[in-house]
Amino acid sequence: MIEAAGLSKNYGRTRAVDGLSFEVRSGVVTGFLGPNGSGKSTTMRMVLGLDRPTAGTVTVDGRHYHDLKWPLREVGALLEANAIHPGRSARNHLLSLAQSNAIPGARVDEVLGLVGLEAVAGRKAGKFSLGMSQRLGIASALLGDPGVLLFDEPVNGLDPEGILWVRTLLQSLAAEGRTVFVSSHLMSEMALTATDLVVIGRGRLIADTTVDDFISSNTEATVLVRSPEVDRLAGVLTSIGASVARRGNGSLLVTKAFPSVIGDAAHTAGIALHELTPQQASLEQVFMDLTSDAVDYHGGAPRTTDEVPS
Amino acid sequence: MTTVTLPLPPTGTGRAGIRHAIRSEWTKLRSVRSTWIALAVVVVAGIGLSALVSSIEAGRWAGLGPADRAQFDPVRFSQTGVFISQFVVGVIGALIVTSEYSTGSIRTTLASMPRRTTVLAAKGIVIAAAVFVVTEVTAFISFFVSQAVLTAHGGKSLPAGSSIVTQVRSPVIPVVTITDSGAFRAVFLCGVYLTLLTLMAVGIGFALRHTAGAISLYVGLLLVIPLVIQILPSSISGSIEKFLPSNLGLAMVVVTTRKTDFAGVLLTPWAATGLLALYAAGVVVLGAWALLRRDA
Repeated sequence: MIEAAGLSKNYGRTRAVDGLSFEVRSGVVTGFLGPNGSGKSTTMRMVLGLDRPTAGTVTVDGRHYHDLKWPLREVGALLEANAIHPGRSARNHLLSLAQSNAIPGARVDEVLGLVGLEAVAGRKAGKFSLGMSQRLGIASALLGDPGVLLFDEPVNGLDPEGILWVRTLLQSLAAEGRTVFVSSHLMSEMALTATDLVVIGRGRLIADTTVDDFISSNTEATVLVRSPEVDRLAGVLTSIGASVARRGNGSLLVTKAFPSVIGDAAHTAGIALHELTPQQASLEQVFMDLTSDAVDYHGGAPRTTDEVPS
Repeated sequence: MTTVTLPLPPTGTGRAGIRHAIRSEWTKLRSVRSTWIALAVVVVAGIGLSALVSSIEAGRWAGLGPADRAQFDPVRFSQTGVFISQFVVGVIGALIVTSEYSTGSIRTTLASMPRRTTVLAAKGIVIAAAVFVVTEVTAFISFFVSQAVLTAHGGKSLPAGSSIVTQVRSPVIPVVTITDSGAFRAVFLCGVYLTLLTLMAVGIGFALRHTAGAISLYVGLLLVIPLVIQILPSSISGSIEKFLPSNLGLAMVVVTTRKTDFAGVLLTPWAATGLLALYAAGVVVLGAWALLRRDA
């Protein structure tokens, strides 16, 4: 379990993290969401004792990181994938980490196999693609078989297959009873991976909840309906209390009515339906809406946040 | 999916400490090619340059007057390579620290060992041990090779047990044996000089974090400050010069000490060694202070 209490961090006059309090429980994947620059990495560095909090505390299983006897066997972390000497082989990189915490050398080959890098274990890390570096970073986090795992943007640079692999890995690590804390700026990715959510913006806590609660409390169920008799359907749906917005191509966006209710109403009125699709994609929009006040760097044009195919 | 099939040793006993950190740092040091290239330069330049200079000096012997012959120091010629090696070891010492900051791997290192002074100590011990072994071996090989060069130019050994200072009246090129007074000390302190400089570079690396800055400062200490001091009036520069790191190194390696040459201008060899060790310790403490105080 990771517990933060009133955690704050100033860099000069900039307040990067502002009074964060949250708990990350074991046994589930907890997503740590926020726009770029919202303080996620700073928070993770404070968990690992790398940055000293200006105020507040953060503990891992009730202890400060500094007091852990065998840090790598208790907490595994992936901070930056490329943070490896480019001239050192993957195996030697992991070996040096293993030795620092009295982890047997055989474990190095085991984690290399686990992340699928055994064939390139002897190659220099500088020659690795971003995806391979991410896998090596994940291998280093798993090295000590720790009960608490932190991953900062682990799917960056991964191909769809790699993303699926990370998602499965994180969930199976949590299923083994570990604490898994994963940061991301991609709501859609977290919706698929995480059970719990900690959402921050500009260093402040926006939500500390579960993914399901976050979605249901923040998204209105929206249903896309297409019909050849779109005008009559709109009248029928309005009469049963739904809100209807017209779209092109003879389609309607309906809120305040479940798909089953819409389908039944159309059937009763004898209206044919060509499509009846619940819309979940607005999740990303919810995240953007919630954090829009808390984004430091707005792009000039609306940008697509759905960088990850899911 | 099972993520562990190999039972790890129990975590109940002990804690990650200096022994583990040293093993880890040794793996890091030996697993990059730059370490081996740099150490090879120390060995090759050390022996090669020393042999070359010994040969040149031997060739000049016939044309030297009595005063110059009195300054002929076969031991110091045999350690000429130190002039190059001192920069190479400084670069290694700085790089083992600053390369971790430039790649960001210092965070991985400090996460694996949150007691930061242990990390600094392990890095210092590992690099100092490696540099000490290589530079001592190089110094002694350089010594024997250079004496062989002098012998090949017609040099003769001094009578057993004689002081090197007696060479003033030597009619032939003097060749020193390692048991001659001061010879072993001078050769041995060569490695000590380079090792202390390496530790100083490690301290600078932790204090500055940036490769270019750390190496510039290190080179500045050895090369630029002596030049600046030479510009000062000689009454001032004369009293400061002997405390400069480069002149401490000279004091450690010099054997011939005729009053008119180095006496008074240089400290005694062991005083110079002590002062340089003090400098190195001071810089390392400064580095440790920066490491403890600043965010990683």
